Amino acid sequence: MMIRYQGGSLEAFQEIYAQLAPGVRRYLSHLAAGSEIADDLLQETFLQMHRSRAAYNPKYAVRPWVFGLARNVFLMNRRAARQRAKVYESREDLPDAPVLPEAERLGSQDEIRRGIAYLHPDQAEPLLLHHEWGFSFEEIAGMMGISAAAARARASRGMADLRVALNSFQRARA
Amino acid sequence: MDSAKLPEALMRVVAADLKPVRPSPQPLHVALRMVPFALLASSAILLAIGPRHDSAILGPLLTWGASSAQFVLAIALVWIGAHESTPGGRLPRQMVYLAAIAASLVVVCLTLLTFATSPLNEPLLRVPPRINELLRVSPWIMGFACGIGSTLAGGILVLFFSWTFRSSLATRPTVGGSLYGAGAGLAINAAWRIACPVSTPWHALGAHGAAIIATVILGALIGRYFGKRRLHRP
Repeated sequence: MMIRYQGGSLEAFQEIYAQLAPGVRRYLSHLAAGSEIADDLLQETFLQMHRSRAAYNPKYAVRPWVFGLARNVFLMNRRAARQRAKVYESREDLPDAPVLPEAERLGSQDEIRRGIAYLHPDQAEPLLLHHEWGFSFEEIAGMMGISAAAARARASRGMADLRVALNSFQRARA
Repeated sequence: MDSAKLPEALMRVVAADLKPVRPSPQPLHVALRMVPFALLASSAILLAIGPRHDSAILGPLLTWGASSAQFVLAIALVWIGAHESTPGGRLPRQMVYLAAIAASLVVVCLTLLTFATSPLNEPLLRVPPRINELLRVSPWIMGFACGIGSTLAGGILVLFFSWTFRSSLATRPTVGGSLYGAGAGLAINAAWRIACPVSTPWHALGAHGAAIIATVILGALIGRYFGKRRLHRP
């Protein structure tokens, strides 16, 4: 599909967008902790994908390539707007973050979202990329510029911290 | 907002520019394609200046061997740079730092080792004797000549290389460009160090080292320019 797109097919671009946009949007929503920014970043990601389509090599998998691009778009946006403090301090406005299937039995959807929002971003990102979007740790390592072992360790620590957070929510509720 | 639905504005932008593009090569191929250009530039330097006349004292290991190792490291830096600029293809950042530290250490260690083996400080070049005398009495001129010469050679290489593979700089173009620049600077230095007739560390590190730093900065600026151009393209 990507090869057809590089060859100049608009239909191929539409197919790629339809397949990847929902997942990329949720990923950006998690990173940006705000759905309005996520929509803008989603458009920017696909615009950058279009402008960088020559940089794609058919030997790569398309999904990690596009998610990697989305991450870069988010980081550039954050640097430009210096929104880090705003993004991670405004935890009252919980993002439209995904709910991990593994964590569903541990708490309500709202509690899981809250738990993920309280995780350190370095842990939450690999945790979601692996458990929610199904990326391998090697692919996550390529997106984040870390080793596969570090990606695995961060995701694992994130899951452990999420469990602790969910337990504390349950105790508070009881 | 239904994120699966392609927005009209985005669709219009994409539809307006759908000319076919050639896929970028993989990072390893990008790095390997630099080899002939870098070899050509290095050979041109050696042919123009000629090998230093204490090559026999230094021996093949400290001349050709060390320069070959430095050249391989230069190509490795380009490979890392190409990876950094590939979305989803980044290497662990420790590897990037390690490569940058290794490159600096190699240059410093080779400089000190060369000086310890043959502390040559007599500029004898294939130029008229009057100029050789001028270079001998005024080491600053020799320093500037080396610095500007190797910066120009490295600059041309990084300019040509960044232009050829500008489409590969999809993400982190400044980092990618600076690594391309480091690779070009190091490759040129690999030839320059066995051509330059001055061994003193202040000259080798000051003049030759400054040239490597200049190509790193030039590469970063070129990468940044390409990144910004893509970002703000109408």
